Parts: sequence; C-alpha cells; structure tokens
Amino acid sequence: MGQVGIIANPASGKDIRRLVAYGTIFDNQEKVNIVRRLILSLAASGIKKIVYMPEYYGIVPGAVDSICGRHRPDIEIVQADICLSGTQIDSFYAAEVMARCGVACIVTLGGDGTNRMVAKGCRNVPLLPISTGTNNVFPTMIESTIAGLAAGVVAQGLVTGAPAINPSKKLIIYKNGEPVDIALVDAVVLNDTFIGSRAVWDAERITKIVVTRGEPHNIGISAIAGNLAPVTPYDDLGLVIEIGPGNLQVRAPIAPGLNEQIPVRNYHYINVGEVIEVAAPCVIALDGEREVEVRPGDDAQIKLTFEGPKVIKAEEVLRAAVAKGYSYRNM
Amino acid sequence: MELKKEKLLGFYETMMTIRAFESKAVELFADNQLPGFVHLYLGEEAVATGVCASLTNKDYITSTHRGHGHLIAKGGKVDLMMAELFGKATGYCKGKGGSMHIADVELGILGANGIVGAGQPISVGAAFACKYKKTDSVAVCFFGDAASNRGTFHEALNMATIWNLPVVFICENNLYGISNCQRDHMKVTDVADRASAYGIPGVVVDGNDVIAVYEAAAEAIERARRGDGPSLVECKTWRWRGHFEGDPGAYKDPEEQAAWLKKDPIPRFEQKLVELKYATKSELEEIKAKVEKQIDAAILFSQNSPYPNPEDALTDVYAE
Repeated sequence: MGQVGIIANPASGKDIRRLVAYGTIFDNQEKVNIVRRLILSLAASGIKKIVYMPEYYGIVPGAVDSICGRHRPDIEIVQADICLSGTQIDSFYAAEVMARCGVACIVTLGGDGTNRMVAKGCRNVPLLPISTGTNNVFPTMIESTIAGLAAGVVAQGLVTGAPAINPSKKLIIYKNGEPVDIALVDAVVLNDTFIGSRAVWDAERITKIVVTRGEPHNIGISAIAGNLAPVTPYDDLGLVIEIGPGNLQVRAPIAPGLNEQIPVRNYHYINVGEVIEVAAPCVIALDGEREVEVRPGDDAQIKLTFEGPKVIKAEEVLRAAVAKGYSYRNM
Repeated sequence: MELKKEKLLGFYETMMTIRAFESKAVELFADNQLPGFVHLYLGEEAVATGVCASLTNKDYITSTHRGHGHLIAKGGKVDLMMAELFGKATGYCKGKGGSMHIADVELGILGANGIVGAGQPISVGAAFACKYKKTDSVAVCFFGDAASNRGTFHEALNMATIWNLPVVFICENNLYGISNCQRDHMKVTDVADRASAYGIPGVVVDGNDVIAVYEAAAEAIERARRGDGPSLVECKTWRWRGHFEGDPGAYKDPEEQAAWLKKDPIPRFEQKLVELKYATKSELEEIKAKVEKQIDAAILFSQNSPYPNPEDALTDVYAE
C-alpha cells in the first residue's frame, strides 16, 4: 500500500489581499476540517500511512484528534522529519523529505504560492493540490473527501499517467546566470524595489507578465492572459504581456473581487525553452508573491519549461478507477 | 507602493530613535535611575514605525504597557518621555504617571496603558468620535497577542464592526503574554483569524519588516479613512527583553531567541537601504549619531529636572 504526503500551509490565505481586495478568509480551523475529511477518505481507500508536514498550528494532528472514535482510522500518521522554521521554506523541505521517503503522491492545502514551494522539492512525486489560498490557478477547489479518494487511488497505483496525472509547465528565474527561483503559473515584473508585504495587487506597478497558463476562468495576474490570449496548462506555449499604454485594454479579475481594466502595450506567445529578458531594477513576483529583487546592474531572465510537477486530476483518476471496478464488487 | 528616499530614511530615523531610547532605558533601569517599571520595545521597532508612518496628528493611537515605540513613532517628544520615566516634574505626566501612562492628546496619543487590553475600547471610542464629528481621522489600537484573549478585544471588535468605525487594530504578536508562550494561552496561532468572527479583514505580516508593515497598515488605515470600516493587522514580531526590565525571560527557548535576533528589523532595513542605493553607510551612521545625541540630551534634561512636589500629588487627578 502506498503512502500519501500532506502539506497543509497554515499561513495561506492571510495576506494583504484581504485588505486591498476581497480575498477568501481561510482560518486554520477550516483547514483542520478539510484535512479531517481527507484522512477519512485516504483511510477508506486503503492507505495505511500518511506523512505530513509539521507546522505551528498542528493542522494534521488536530484533524486526527478530532475524528470521533467510531470513525477513527487505522492508519499510521507520521511527521516529516524537518527542522521547523515557521516560514514558507518548510513546505519545500517537507516535500523533499516526502519524496525521499517514497510517498506516492502529496496532497497540498494552500494557494499558488504554497504549491510553488512544494514543487521545488517534490521531484517526480505527483501533487493533488486543494485550494485554500488567495489566487488559486494551480490548485483546485475540490472537496477533500473526493481528493482523498483520488489520492488513495493514485497511491495504490491503480491509475497512472494522462489524462489522470499530467505534467505541468514551470518558469525558471535566472539572476546573473544562476537559476534562483521558479513559478508554476506566472512571473510578474514590477517596478518596485522592496518585497515588503509580498502580495501583488497594484496593477500600476506591473511592467511585464510571463505566464505558463491563463484561462478566462482563472483569477490573479494570469487572468490577464486568460482574457487576452488563453493558454491552457497543456499547451506547449506560454504568453508574455507588456503592460502599459497601447491599443488594448483587458478586463480581468486580478484579485478576488477586483475586475480591473489593464492597459496592454503588446503580447506574444513563447515556446517551451524560450527565454525572456527582464530589465533591472525591479522585483519579480512569482505565483502572486513578490520574491526576487533584481538590483541595478543585475542580469535577469525568465525561461519557460515543461518541467513542473506532475499534477493529479481527481475527476479523471476516479473515473478511470471506477472503470476498473475500484468502487464496487459483485455480490 | 512607491517609496521615496526621504520617507525611507524617515523610517530608519524613527526605528533608530526607538532603539536608542530603549537601549538607554536598559542601562538607566539597571543603574536604578528609573523609579518605576519599564516594558521595553526593543526588537519591535518596525511595527510602530511602519504603522504610524500613515498617521497624522489628527489621527489617534491607543498604546500598551510596552508603549515607548508607539509614542516615539507618533511624534512623542523624547525629552518629555524620558523625564516621565525618571519621575520628574518635566515629564509628560509631571512625573506622576511613569512609563505606562504617557499621553499627548495634541499628537493624538491617547495614552500608554498599564491594563492589558484597555486600549481597545478606548480606540473604538476615539473612532466613534471621528465618525460622529465627520472628520476623516482614524484611530489605531496597538495591542499584544495575549490582549486578544481579553473580553475588551471581542467587545471592541464587535462594536467597531457594528458601527463600521474607522479603527485599525494592530496586533503586535511577539509570541509571549508575560511568560506564557502563545501556544499555551490560545488555540489559534494567527490572531488575525479572530477577525473573521466579526466579519472584518484580518491579515498577517512580517512585523520585523518595516516595509511590509507599512504597506499593510497604509492600506488598512486608508480603508478606515474612506469609511470602509475596521480591520485587523497582525504583525509577527519578538521582544528581545523580558516582559519588563528585571525579568530575565528564562521561559524563552534560547534557540528561538537566537533565531529571532537574527531577524532584527534594523540591520535588515539598513542592508536594503544600502544595497538599493537609497543611502550610504555613512549617511545611516549620521542618522544614528544624531538620534543618540537626542537621547543623551533627553537623559541630561531628565537628570537635571526636579521631582514633583509632594503637595501636587492630587493635582490632575480629578476634573475641576
């Protein structure tokens, strides 16, 4: 029986976009509730071991403790052996540990930013991302009961490959010739100098956007691409958009509740492997969070690749599993 | 958010003034020159600085027992503050209030406060006055993590929400309520989570990053000013010293203390200012020397000031 990893980010869903936009308020007790249902479904699907990321709130232990006696699962639940820092780097280390100890898939609770950190460490282990962040393009709004069943199917090897498990794209950020960070959805170049409160909400600060994907039903900066020249997660393409006065205005939901008119100077598709130059100085936001400071004199580029993490599509997994008789038996 | 050199250096000067004031208070208390308790703000300078940068003298703050940083950031005069710590007649409260009761209504400082959580309802009252008088002023309430366990916190948030008042609640979460670690005195780890119970936004920022605090507080204050109601900004930070001077803080994990000391908000900011060419090291040294001189002058002023007369003990106690 396969093992499943759980990385639940206690810090997701609390950034400044609750002030400047209308971001979801996701308290940690709700994450406990989500994980409780996840664990029950993993147990129901036959999983015997879960490895979880420790964090300051204790989301997974809280979920286990609150499952009532008659539903308490017979499942080994162990903490990933990481040195807790209380910062986003914990998600990266936890994913690394889980990949090393052989989990068959990792269920994440967070937004695009959380999954970006997990993707840095998860190697070839597929992710099943449940949305609890702010701008959620990479993770999916999915009931955790269903996510748990799908993760259980994957962990037991009952379903493999596309269309249930798919590769994803990734942007690699280079500074002075060295890869310094990645993004799964978008890299946004801002004429800021400080990382500060991290989130991106002021469209007037944006000069350039590079996306791996962007569809009209997305929210966040990648929604500008989605409302201009959509790119699906499966296309061998990305899109570059130069922001500024031009012949185009694009209306896009750039943050929860914020549908803004964005002036577009020009845009073009890019192929996998292509590299985009970034002018210094600037700050580059990755998947919604200001992360990389490009100082005067620095040399920076963004490269589109198809080397992102494998992603589990729960509905396809379960459809394939049912076709194989996973959920019923003849009496 | 665009930030000019002048503003950034202003942040630096405020943080350095707080640092210099509090560092001297450590020495003066140890030297028995300060007659009352002092609760120091060392390590938390970025919070008061980042928040008060968006306030004017027409805006109000309520402070706490650990209030020196708030008062300095809001424009409090360091000589009058220091004289009050010395218990001298030239102090803000004529030497009769001490560290925990300093106020300056002209500057909108409605007082430090010796009672945990007492500033919260006062800030709501001030915000009500702003709304009632149709000014565009706002009230900002500083409080600690443990103060969010007090009934006053819940009453204040409830009333502020019901009346949609222009108040911003700033939680300085330094992870300890006196000697109690936060995980031992509350179930939630983010005080900001409590905002949702009152239907208002609650956000978390790095309280040791003055820019992060400034950005979040500026948005919250602007939101309140334009009539969109209260919000809660939680700033994660760390107090370097014990709860009060004389408390060795032995209940803190030394490793945790060491990790937080590495996140000292001032060197972090200094490094950015220099790297991004907003200032040279010598410019920052000049600011540091200037504020240290001010604090030395404040100490001299305090030492040379008289104690209040015993016969004045009951003046300023009752309204006339």
